Amino acid sequence: MKSALLAFYRLLGLLAMLAMVAALITVGLSVLAREASWDIQGLDAYAGYAIVAALFLALPITFQRGEHIRVTLLMGKLPQRWSNALQVWSLLAGSALSALLAWFAVRLVWISWSTHDVSPAMDASPLWIPQLAMALGCIGMAVACLDALLSHLLGLPFFDTHAHGEAARIE
Amino acid sequence: MDALIALLLIVLMLVVLGSGLWIGLALLGVGVFAMELFSTRPVGDAMVLTIWGSTSSWTLTALPLFLWMGEILFRSKLSEGMFRGLSPWLNHIPGRLLHVNVIGCAIFAAVSGSSAATCATIGKITLPELKKRGYPDHMAVGTLSGAGTLGLLIPPSIIMIVYGVAANVSIAKLFMAGVIPGILLAMVFMGYIVVWALRNPQQVPAADAHVGLLAKLYEGRHLLPVVALIIVVLGSIYSGIATATEAAALGVAGSLALAAIEGSLSWRKFYEGLGSAVRVYCMIGLILAGAAFLTLAMGFIGLPRHLAEFIGGLGLSPFALMLVLMGFFILLGCFLDGISMVVLTMAVLLPTVQSAGFDLLWFGIFIVLVVEMAQITPPVGFNLFVLQGLTKREITWLARVSMPLFWLMVSFVMLVYFVPGIITWLPGLMQ
Repeated sequence: MKSALLAFYRLLGLLAMLAMVAALITVGLSVLAREASWDIQGLDAYAGYAIVAALFLALPITFQRGEHIRVTLLMGKLPQRWSNALQVWSLLAGSALSALLAWFAVRLVWISWSTHDVSPAMDASPLWIPQLAMALGCIGMAVACLDALLSHLLGLPFFDTHAHGEAARIE
Repeated sequence: MDALIALLLIVLMLVVLGSGLWIGLALLGVGVFAMELFSTRPVGDAMVLTIWGSTSSWTLTALPLFLWMGEILFRSKLSEGMFRGLSPWLNHIPGRLLHVNVIGCAIFAAVSGSSAATCATIGKITLPELKKRGYPDHMAVGTLSGAGTLGLLIPPSIIMIVYGVAANVSIAKLFMAGVIPGILLAMVFMGYIVVWALRNPQQVPAADAHVGLLAKLYEGRHLLPVVALIIVVLGSIYSGIATATEAAALGVAGSLALAAIEGSLSWRKFYEGLGSAVRVYCMIGLILAGAAFLTLAMGFIGLPRHLAEFIGGLGLSPFALMLVLMGFFILLGCFLDGISMVVLTMAVLLPTVQSAGFDLLWFGIFIVLVVEMAQITPPVGFNLFVLQGLTKREITWLARVSMPLFWLMVSFVMLVYFVPGIITWLPGLMQ
């Protein structure tokens, strides 16, 4: 079960990497298209969809590797029992919020699909398709949060903290 | 009543952030709480629509691409080449190779969007080289720590993209606005090294072997790749050929080409760089998503407007307001990262800033400068964390050796307040 979940987070992470490459190709294409005066409609919108997918699909693996930032000042200073309580609170609140997000992200896909909502930009794509990636990523995040909460309560490892040798290079 | 709500929300925000909840989720949570309690709008649908809208924008696409570019260059041999190209030229200035820290960071900042990446990339090559030659640690580390923050100020800059998207200011203009302050601040740091070296000549090690002019020029060839990249990225933005997003894509392509040419590009490195860029973007993106919704929620309950009226009613002069804001940011920077600081500020303070009559372009650079200071103040300062990884020293020692640079930045903020043209002149020349 544990390893299946981890494989799921990694798979979504891999898809996020593909989405990033897609964003690069799309933006590159739009530069080429303008220079060569090709007429490709809606590339701007596609680049946007690609980075949404990259962002949300990477949520679980980033979380699992402990790379989402938080203020650990207080947790580091408090005695074990209290910092443990804060960790449980963070995981509970995180699970609730990401589940909320996942619920409404799925609902957004459903609304876009059932009302045939299309992009207002030149591409006029049915919006439910790119929104699916956001929903999938949010579901992954909610699952990862619950996984982390249960693992914490059962005393099992969840976070892969030694993986990020260069976590500080963030801004 | 309004003041009470505002106070309640601000206290709640601080408590939730302090409790250790992941920052992006914390912003989201406070937004949900505020909207559920103080407005009648349906929360959930507004939440995802705002998040969808704010994270699927063409302008924002520049951010992940610049992050990716930085990750590729971090894994390349660019910084070694820069050290070899720069050091023969700097042996005879007072302070000698300490200047490689500053100039190296300034040049790398022009291809990288982040301060910590700049600090790490330059530091991993200069710190061992300077130590080998006997430069005092406190100067080698202190100047690196300060100069690394130029990564934020000299374009491309992740934090400027975040600010530009939040405040609806042109990112190309913001980038150009950072160029002259960036160069000036680098010169201020170099001036500091010169003054220190003249006062402590016994602490400066002897120069490397003398090199003739031709040899110097020949060694300078190692700088060509980075200069070419700078021309591609910043040149295309300045000349108007490319938008910031397009320049970012050109930058990624250029960095990949550069790494391929120097033979440091393998599938493994490509995969690691891409993975790292995606996760860093995800981390920042979650904060942006939370902040986008928080901004919406704050707007519904009218908190930013009330705050603007309240601060406007105090009758502070713009100078006093700037000092108060600077103090507030430095305090906030003690426990928050720069991106969270900027998005939180924009969610709450934008109307205040506008009604006080600050130019939003000027204010963007002001925020970047203050965030730079926050990068090197403990307990949370990302450059300090990077340096801790590189030097294995105590964070208190690192903060102490960075202090002189911190004060130089404070005086630099005063300078740009009284001479705003430093910021606004160059972007004014663009069409």
